[in-house]
Amino acid sequence: MGNGENITGQELHEKVVESVTAIKNGPKVLNLYMDVCARCGTCAEVCPVYQGEPTELRNPVVRSDFIRGIYKKYTTTSGKLLGSMVGASDFDGDMKKWVDSFYECTGCRRCATYCPFGIDNSVITRKGRAIADATGYTPDTMKKVVQTSLDTCNTDGASPEAFKASIDFLEEEMKDEHGVDIKIPVDVVGAEYFYVPPSGDVLVNPEATTGIAKVFYVLGMQDKWTMSSKCFDGANYGLFTGNDGHMKADNKPYVEEAKRFGAKYMFMGECGHAYRIMKMMMEKGKWWGDLPFKVINCMEWTADRIKEGKLEFDKSKNPMPVTYHDPCNFGRSCGIVEDPRVILEAACEDFRDMTPNRGENWCCGGGGGLSAMDDIRDFRMKVSSVKKMEQVKATGAKYVATACSNCKRQFMQLIESHNADFAVGGVHDMLSRSILINGKAAERVDWEG
Amino acid sequence: MNDYIFMFFPYITLLVFVLGVVIRIRAWAKSPQPGKMTLFPATQGTEVPGVIKEALFFPSLFKGDKTLWSFSWIFHATLALIFIGHIRVFTDFPALWAALNINADNMSATSGGIAGILVMATLILLLFRRFFVGRVREISNLADYFALVLVLAVIITGNMMRFSGHHFDLELTRAYFSSMLTFSFSAMVVPADTIFRAHFLLVQLLFVYIPFSKILHFGGIFFTQTLVKQS
Repeated sequence: MGNGENITGQELHEKVVESVTAIKNGPKVLNLYMDVCARCGTCAEVCPVYQGEPTELRNPVVRSDFIRGIYKKYTTTSGKLLGSMVGASDFDGDMKKWVDSFYECTGCRRCATYCPFGIDNSVITRKGRAIADATGYTPDTMKKVVQTSLDTCNTDGASPEAFKASIDFLEEEMKDEHGVDIKIPVDVVGAEYFYVPPSGDVLVNPEATTGIAKVFYVLGMQDKWTMSSKCFDGANYGLFTGNDGHMKADNKPYVEEAKRFGAKYMFMGECGHAYRIMKMMMEKGKWWGDLPFKVINCMEWTADRIKEGKLEFDKSKNPMPVTYHDPCNFGRSCGIVEDPRVILEAACEDFRDMTPNRGENWCCGGGGGLSAMDDIRDFRMKVSSVKKMEQVKATGAKYVATACSNCKRQFMQLIESHNADFAVGGVHDMLSRSILINGKAAERVDWEG
Repeated sequence: MNDYIFMFFPYITLLVFVLGVVIRIRAWAKSPQPGKMTLFPATQGTEVPGVIKEALFFPSLFKGDKTLWSFSWIFHATLALIFIGHIRVFTDFPALWAALNINADNMSATSGGIAGILVMATLILLLFRRFFVGRVREISNLADYFALVLVLAVIITGNMMRFSGHHFDLELTRAYFSSMLTFSFSAMVVPADTIFRAHFLLVQLLFVYIPFSKILHFGGIFFTQTLVKQS
């Protein structure tokens, strides 16, 4: 299990070939993807990276062929006999090219949506990254995030004290806004709902968290939920480096914390990949056996309360045109697409969808963990985001709501580097600005930017 | 000597094809998978009907690339029709034709003729696409061209039997296959028709090649699509 020293030469070659040929023994998904591709090029037609700037190395099939070629050469009769004529190739020792390429795929799974076979190139990308990780070649920026998260349980390396200070600040803010005490409970054993946001929603864009606190307040459930001063960041970069061991190690304290609280619900915040790991992988895959709690997410929960008529809004607090960017992990991978729209329709005067949307949405260009990599910022600003920016501009929206800290970071940098005339934030941010508490919305005007 | 090839090769071909396909599909089916890879939203359809829809109509491809969809769907649909039409080379259903008041030979000449042209035209378009569309050319290797050219050769020899004006003896061919199916080697007469022989050899080459190539995507699609559809 990775993050060791870089290995080179013959040893590297052997390790790469060994990892690729191991696909023979599963998983089924990779096994099939080595064999079934008809090489029709549809993935390139719908890929945000290839469409941003089409170069051969950015063609999803060319990237996947790094692995498929080795697999063919070492495990198939035709590959052994006919070599490159049937697309078999050997590992050329160029790990830099390998890493650069696999860290240019945003893992958005858009290719899988349009591929006639449903081939998900992000699975091959993750395998490529796993091989890089096992040989010590994960980019330093990513290594650092993983290590920080394993050491401190959050990707920012923030201490429990810093976290509590932020929470105190947010409670004061809400007092100023509404004149009442709206609590953000911390470390409450016995709480039913254990709120797990991305750390960004406490430290960087905390309005989503105040929005959620206000919903609990309005429902009279202030004593029913809690945050943890140790586990306040669902982000888990083991998904992005392809290291299953890290992914599970990062996940475990959160499950233990939920059990310690005796929570009935692991209440996931606005973070697509965190929810995907908890819901689609950890819970469904029974990583830790049967659980005493259920994984839900804040958007489906709030949307249900809105549909029940339990929340009221003053939409005039959000008069500007607002659009929603479907984070790939929430949309394509978890099917959470209607709930954020229910919230935004309720909280904003002028909600507009971009086209295409939901499961067909274009990636922001920062998916697959790329958003955290400032070493490829130029690529993210000029290549992987081209389609997204076209889409957003076409809506004329002045605020892009999205439920993912990585998408938000990507958008913030895009706004800066393109001098774009819109702001970005969360879904519950819009709710926080317009929800009625005792009949009144928040008293604040300085919401620009 | 030539005749012996046509007497025994078909059995070997069939054996290689069936065994090859079974071994490959078994390997896929038995390979362990920790969880599903579900893609949303569910408008793509749930598991069984969704996968069947993908296999019959290629809806995902339709959304992604309409030009390719039209070439590809017409090609595959016509190929399926032609495959079914070949049943008449092995047997016939005179009672059915009488009941429907159809002249089977005329019908097969018309529909088979149209299908032969369509399947050839769409295949040539697919081949052109491989040559001239950048994103497809850069991922094409010799095996990709070989598959298309081999199928094209099968189609061209098939069309030659219908269109070149030379007489194709259906009765004789049917008798040949009939004695093959009943293992009556002493009674077996291999048609002398050169175009038929070329066509039949190419078809056999194709069938032997299928289990070892990406052409088996017609089997793989059921597995790959199941993984991304909701259960």
